[in-house]
Amino acid sequence: MKYGKLLGAAAALLAAGSTVALAADVKVGSAAGITGPIEGLVPPILAGRDLAAAHVNEQGGILGGGTYVLVPGDSQCNPKAAVDAGTKLVNVEQVVAVIGPSCSGATNGMVQSVNIPAGVVTLSDSATAPMISFLEDNDLVFRAAPSDGYQSSALAQHVWDQGLRKIAVTYANDDYNAGLGEAFVAAFEHIGGTIAGKQAHEPDRQSYRSELATLAGGGAEALAVFAYYGGSGITILRNSLENALFDQFLGADGMMDNSVIEQLGADTLRGKITLSQPAPQAEGDSGPGESYTAFAEAFKAAGHDPEAPYVAHGYDVAFLMALAIEKAGAADRSKISAALREVANAPGMVIRPGEWAKAREAIAAGEDVNYEGASGDIEFDENGDVAGATYSFNGVGDDGTWTPMQ
Amino acid sequence: MMDFVNFHLIPGVVLGSIYALGAIGVTLTFGILRFANFAHGETMTLGAYLTLTLVLLTGWHALLFLPVALALTALLVLAMDRMFFRPLRHAPSIILVIASFGLMLMVRSLVQVIWGTELQGFSKGITLPWVLFDSLRVFPKHVVILTAAIALMVAVHVLLRHTRTGKAMRAMSDSPELARLTGIDTERVVRATWIVGAGLAAAAGIFLAYDSHVETLMGFKMLLPVFASALLGGLGRPYGAMAGGLVIGVVEELSTYAWIGSEPLLPPGYKAGVAFAIMVAILIWRPSGLFRGRVF
Repeated sequence: MKYGKLLGAAAALLAAGSTVALAADVKVGSAAGITGPIEGLVPPILAGRDLAAAHVNEQGGILGGGTYVLVPGDSQCNPKAAVDAGTKLVNVEQVVAVIGPSCSGATNGMVQSVNIPAGVVTLSDSATAPMISFLEDNDLVFRAAPSDGYQSSALAQHVWDQGLRKIAVTYANDDYNAGLGEAFVAAFEHIGGTIAGKQAHEPDRQSYRSELATLAGGGAEALAVFAYYGGSGITILRNSLENALFDQFLGADGMMDNSVIEQLGADTLRGKITLSQPAPQAEGDSGPGESYTAFAEAFKAAGHDPEAPYVAHGYDVAFLMALAIEKAGAADRSKISAALREVANAPGMVIRPGEWAKAREAIAAGEDVNYEGASGDIEFDENGDVAGATYSFNGVGDDGTWTPMQ
Repeated sequence: MMDFVNFHLIPGVVLGSIYALGAIGVTLTFGILRFANFAHGETMTLGAYLTLTLVLLTGWHALLFLPVALALTALLVLAMDRMFFRPLRHAPSIILVIASFGLMLMVRSLVQVIWGTELQGFSKGITLPWVLFDSLRVFPKHVVILTAAIALMVAVHVLLRHTRTGKAMRAMSDSPELARLTGIDTERVVRATWIVGAGLAAAAGIFLAYDSHVETLMGFKMLLPVFASALLGGLGRPYGAMAGGLVIGVVEELSTYAWIGSEPLLPPGYKAGVAFAIMVAILIWRPSGLFRGRVF
């Protein structure tokens, strides 16, 4: 830790020294679970971040014409790998700040071991575990994704409205899934539901038959699976269905990948599973907001699907970080935290996705800006969190992909 | 009661027979080449991925490719022996162990580069079991795995007992010096050992993948229970390894049964620790294995 601090201090000095040179490249770490249990979800999110960087660079660049460079780091959705990736980004690549990493456990590991000691701001686009709010972070950890406290309540309410009263819960033993699982149990019991068995499981096992047999003994109507699809999610669904232990499932965004449907078959799953994910929506409930539309059109034009999980958040964190650096006026690690709050929170001139040139002029003129993101308004509270989103509930659609259900 | 048979006993026996196949290879390598081969888990993974490739190319059933996959894996392992272990044949065994560790990391990375780390399966969708007497649930795949595993073990028995190569392997495991003096071609025996060990490891990997799925760490995760099985049976003893595998597999699965009350005796998350606990206990109290004093 001490070593990290020293390096961090040295890095800060170096960074301060380098601002003398005008129009230099500005490097920001872009950590994500490029390999690992959610590697199928990550490429679209990275495409979102890259689109934001492209917008910045096309519209005049950052800090007086410099190139905004996202340096990739593979956090593997794993705290240990995330520490390695963070060390490389912060100490070797000397990035100004870090966006990402993807998973809550990876985020927790990286910020505690590397980023916080080095005084580097971390802005995650998809770390949602409630515990991230309460880190001792010297105001260095932010996220554009809402805490899972909201998601689990929304999911609990949704399945209650669908008529489920007795649910068994299994969650993978990591920060994201355990946080979500515990929050779901609390929320469902609060509404009046019964939890007929709750179990943490180790991810990556070859089978979960005995675990599931025990859970099924509780007589639940459905099984809530909080897991990454590639870690244990698919195996749990398969074991449950093959052994006729459960035939109704619910889960969250960590399961929302098409490989779940590909591996198990659309017809097998149709009508049996409900997955929640934050619905991109900015202003009110009257359909997608102006910011989301601006992002979605640009993202579609680039050949990607704007409805994929967390892509809007990916765009937002990359764009916000560029705004914060521009606002700070220098690639100076120590100024990013305050600047991030200023550019994200009201009041100020509203900036929407793609409006880099407008933002740059406003900042140059000393005006306050307020970024209204594709994923939501993004107003950071004292924990560096954003307010709860609205959630969509997805099942297997007629075309064999995840489709929002009513 | 039926839960016990359906979800603990049958999966335990199936898992145990898979461990047994893996453990035979470990124990033979230890007996004849005198080192613990860490790359053994990766051999299992390789077998599963080679089969997966053939399945994806042709769309046929995975088990049709069992002989081809075993042969291909054995060839690859022979090539690895030629490149990494042969130059070190007379080096101290710790060097061989470290070399096998390095090989393990290399093979795993290669598998990840070639096939990706995404979880894959031999077949899409789910397969339903036969339901006998309204409550006994038997999966066709489990019957197939058990039958094939028993057939392979019988084949190993015939090889060791009734062929010249088998006798030479046993002689060399007993005393390499004496075997060399009696004119046994030791390099030939080494090759035979690799072929048998790799073939059985590949079969273990394929069966495990057939029962669940293919992923790059599957072999590595099997390594500990497989080592524990080999130790339980006494290192260097193929029959001990078979029994050891079965015991470890069954005990792992039974440890999570609700023996007392309605809660699992051991939370399933700790299942992986069972093999480790058995291994430590064996090393302390019975380092020569359960069947002390009987070699082969």
